[in-house]
Amino acid sequence: MNTIPVSEAPRSLLIRILRHNPCDPDSAPHFESFELEEAEAMTLFIALNEIRQTLDPSLQFDFVCRAGICGSCGMIINGRPGLACRTLTRDLPQCITLAPLPGFELIGDLSVNTGKWMRGMAERLETWVHAQHLERVDIDQLEQRMEPELAEKLYELERCIECGCCIAACGTAQMHEDFVGAVGLNQVTRFHLDPRDERSDAEFYQLVGDETGVFGCMTLLGCEDYCPKDLPLATQIAFLRRRMVATAR
Amino acid sequence: MQIIHTDVLVIGGGLAGQRAAIGARRRGHKAIVLSLVPAKRSHSAAAQGGMQASLGNCLGASGDNEDIHFADTVRGSDWGADQAVVRMFTHTAPKAIRELAAWGVPWNRVQRGERDITVDGQRQRIEESDAAHGLITSRNFGGTGKWRACYVSDGTGHAMLYTMSNQAIAAGIPVHERMEAMALIHDGERCSGAIVRDLRTGELLAYIAKATCIATGGFGRIYRVSTNAVINEGMGAAIALETGIAQLGNMEAIQFHPTAIVPAGILVTEGCRGDGGLLLDRAGHRFMPDYEPDKMELASRDVVSRRMEQHIAAGQGVQGRFGEHLWLDIRLLGAAHIEHNLREVKEICRYFLGIDPVSELIPVRPAQHYSMGGVRTDHTGHSPQLRGLFAAGEAACWDIHGFNRLGGNSVAETVVAGMIVGDSMADFCDSAEGSLQLSTALVDRFARRERERLAAIASGSGGESAFEITRLMQETMTANVGIFRHGAGLQQAVEALQVLQRRAANITLRSSAAGPNPELVAAYRVQRMLKLAQCVAYGALQRTESRGAHYRADFPRRNDQKWLRRTLASWPSASAELPTLDYEVLDIMRMELPPGWRGYGDKDYIAHPDASARQREIDAVVAALGDTDRYRRQQALMPFKHLLPGHLRGRNARLGDPT
Amino acid sequence: MPGKLSAWPARVDVLQSLSGLLLVLFVWAHMFFESSILLGEDAMYRVTKMFEGEPLFGKPYPLLVSAVGIAVLTLVVVHAVLALRKFPGSSRQYGQLRQHMGALRHPDTTLWYVQCVTGFLLFFLVSVHLYTVITQPGNIGPYASADRIWSERFWIVYALLLVTVHLHAAIGVYRLAMKWYPPTGANPRAHRRRRKRAMWCILAFFLTLGCASLLTYMYLGYQHADRAGERYQPGTTVLATEED
Repeated sequence: MNTIPVSEAPRSLLIRILRHNPCDPDSAPHFESFELEEAEAMTLFIALNEIRQTLDPSLQFDFVCRAGICGSCGMIINGRPGLACRTLTRDLPQCITLAPLPGFELIGDLSVNTGKWMRGMAERLETWVHAQHLERVDIDQLEQRMEPELAEKLYELERCIECGCCIAACGTAQMHEDFVGAVGLNQVTRFHLDPRDERSDAEFYQLVGDETGVFGCMTLLGCEDYCPKDLPLATQIAFLRRRMVATAR
Repeated sequence: MQIIHTDVLVIGGGLAGQRAAIGARRRGHKAIVLSLVPAKRSHSAAAQGGMQASLGNCLGASGDNEDIHFADTVRGSDWGADQAVVRMFTHTAPKAIRELAAWGVPWNRVQRGERDITVDGQRQRIEESDAAHGLITSRNFGGTGKWRACYVSDGTGHAMLYTMSNQAIAAGIPVHERMEAMALIHDGERCSGAIVRDLRTGELLAYIAKATCIATGGFGRIYRVSTNAVINEGMGAAIALETGIAQLGNMEAIQFHPTAIVPAGILVTEGCRGDGGLLLDRAGHRFMPDYEPDKMELASRDVVSRRMEQHIAAGQGVQGRFGEHLWLDIRLLGAAHIEHNLREVKEICRYFLGIDPVSELIPVRPAQHYSMGGVRTDHTGHSPQLRGLFAAGEAACWDIHGFNRLGGNSVAETVVAGMIVGDSMADFCDSAEGSLQLSTALVDRFARRERERLAAIASGSGGESAFEITRLMQETMTANVGIFRHGAGLQQAVEALQVLQRRAANITLRSSAAGPNPELVAAYRVQRMLKLAQCVAYGALQRTESRGAHYRADFPRRNDQKWLRRTLASWPSASAELPTLDYEVLDIMRMELPPGWRGYGDKDYIAHPDASARQREIDAVVAALGDTDRYRRQQALMPFKHLLPGHLRGRNARLGDPT
Repeated sequence: MPGKLSAWPARVDVLQSLSGLLLVLFVWAHMFFESSILLGEDAMYRVTKMFEGEPLFGKPYPLLVSAVGIAVLTLVVVHAVLALRKFPGSSRQYGQLRQHMGALRHPDTTLWYVQCVTGFLLFFLVSVHLYTVITQPGNIGPYASADRIWSERFWIVYALLLVTVHLHAAIGVYRLAMKWYPPTGANPRAHRRRRKRAMWCILAFFLTLGCASLLTYMYLGYQHADRAGERYQPGTTVLATEED
């Protein structure tokens, strides 16, 4: 019943990691290779921890939930952005190259400061429900009703885990640091869809109506293709683009 | 050294911490949140299935109210909970969910009309009313009398945490990310902030605050197999313990979740069983009805986990490549249901097991999941021993969970406790007691102590490995302080942990990397985790009874006569090898629900004589009241509203209330 | 619009897409007219005279062709200027883009880069082409064009133009569709794959058509090389099928 195929002899993995410690003035970015015996059901989470525990204790990386839901462990795996914790080594070739997500401040080795970037994005795009009297909601009374279908749609857009893969996969974001990326634009559409948010289209235009916002997107579609949560990012960005064009007219 | 001043310092950026910070901020106090990771990556995000609140909207929830939620929670706790606090909690939970609904959480809603559900392995057709259409719906969870777990598909915690974080950003609350509190600054009576290490640079800073709140979640990582995130190492509880003054409550009360996937230990939600999923053994036989004919798969987690291990021990487990396990079967729920309401489960199965739960069975086995224990607080979330120190959420022993927490009560606790503790910290800051006269010498002393400690580790030459000691600690805890405990194993664990503690003083680092140095982090954390582990093991050794999740094979009965009391652990001397244990008696004569049988699990327990006395008293009070409503009856038995902040005392409106 | 952001970014975004779309439609139509040579010199001759307005005014006015040429050039300049904003603006940005593409090997990003390169080349190739059209509008015809292509060696320019313009146009239309109306519904990925297949089919079609026409002109020019400069007179051909 267990469908994980049993391999005959364990492979010896060669893991090349782009290393750099900005805290160390003598450090320069370089690749370092580690050899590791592959284990059953080994993920990059397990592999990296084993490297740290047995080969190089100074190796820096970020994991939190190790279940693919917190978005901490985005990194470049053989050239492509992805979540390391849920990447099984058996799906990768014997030589695995790991690099930190580009487009974010490097903390060290594979650890990048996505948190700072995302907070900046949230502040800039004001990604929260804007409603008058939010502080004076009468929480003793029945909640506002909502169509069940709408609630599900909102959750669909809210599944974003801010892992940063869409930024790393986006040529525009790589060239233009101030571009808010698919993560930002998707969140704007999420609040635009939410009837609890009282902002008008004109107000949303003020948040995304320029080259750092929705009109900066060149439809390269890296975001959509590498989103670990399979969010409909191209659809959301196109929707926002059309709405913002209609607003500007 | 940089010194940062604030009114309120919240250590931990999960749901509880952020809600507490928002509460204090709204009262006009400056609040700063410290977080090991970006706040939206906190482990609150991993709560999948739901949040308990007695809204009573959907058909399965109709008739629900605070009274039923209260009774379920107290029974779930095996009478270990503080009943007045449970009342505060069940009363505030509907408010918390409605507040979050207004703030933007896309709670799943009731759809009017007919739909199919799965109950006891059978498809049933039910019809939701027009009146409930569009209100927040809920699903069934273990150990509850009603469908009470409100949910957002199976990403409930994620949706709640994002909404909460966004509201904190809107309120302009700074979250200082990648910051680790290393020590609480205190003078023996008053806590006044923390010494903090920057995990990007390795520098030490001091945060000075009138009120400090520990909201760092649980400490599951003292176990080898845990559903917890890797950051759940209990550092908040540990630094409270290291004050030597603050006490940790009920540390031996550790919950094991029935359905963690094998071998990764990743959680699949209780919602799987709540929605109708079954547990099967090697023969494909549904075994839970054999043990628990009433609640079956939906008994409380401690009971289900124990029955599963019992069944495996009886030779009925499936022999897999990673050891024995059982099957979770959600195939009968159908593809549409799984794709809408259990999509994270589907994703987890796909990525970590390579299976599709629509057509295949999920290999599961119980794994460490939750710490009922934590920093002991009063009903306001304030430490009784150390003024200015507060705690909220899993890190606290506020004590609504006692010896077993019900599924869905943890996320509910985080938000409810955040609401209450935020206010009580604001009250404290406003009071005369809240003003702070702090000598810089005290701050310097703590900073120096931490610096010296780190330097000692960095220059250690004893040859021990931090990673190896961590591994041995985790093995010890999983082997000897797990679901089934007995005196000899616990004794062995206590001794093994003592040895490890000595060895941990002799760690040698292999790396002297500049900056945060992950090996140094592992080294100082394992020293603290060992103290927490020792509180768990030693507390479990001393508690010679079985209560909730704490099961002693050598003392299988609950013993209300001797053990209806809360363990309080402290660590007064840094050089001590064992914690000091005190006990706090739970007074039956003040309980609204005196101890009895839980309605599931073993019926055999040693009753306390007060239980029947109190029951007679209750019967008399109720009889004297005559024909009255449930609010007045409750008020007569155990008044609690005066314990709540004024703005949280109102009655909760429900569908079908008399107008 | 109140607030700090004006409506211009929106307008400019639409204008870029719209100018691109018009140019694509023009190029595709152009291909059909140009390939009239496949039906013979006479067919092509009639097409040229049609564009010089002969059916309308009774006699040809080549200036009309110049006018269209100027209009197209204007559209090209507008489109190029707008598109240029999206190009890497510095060597640092260019380096980042190259590194990004090299590592990611993402088809749609690579296609965009192809558009950048073809767009850059097109600016020169189209200018040369339109310069001749605008300055010598009367020199378009079966022999005049064939002579230019063969005897004046313009086939090199046209071959390059053919490949770049169709790559740019086909990818551009795919991107336009994805930019404004990406697939929705049950299986958007499959839908997108279909769109991409359509893009490749369109590209193959126009490249085939273009190559066939160009080869025909080259052959014609080769045949006509000793009489280069002589203009086509209707009804004197051996290549075309007779029409009345």
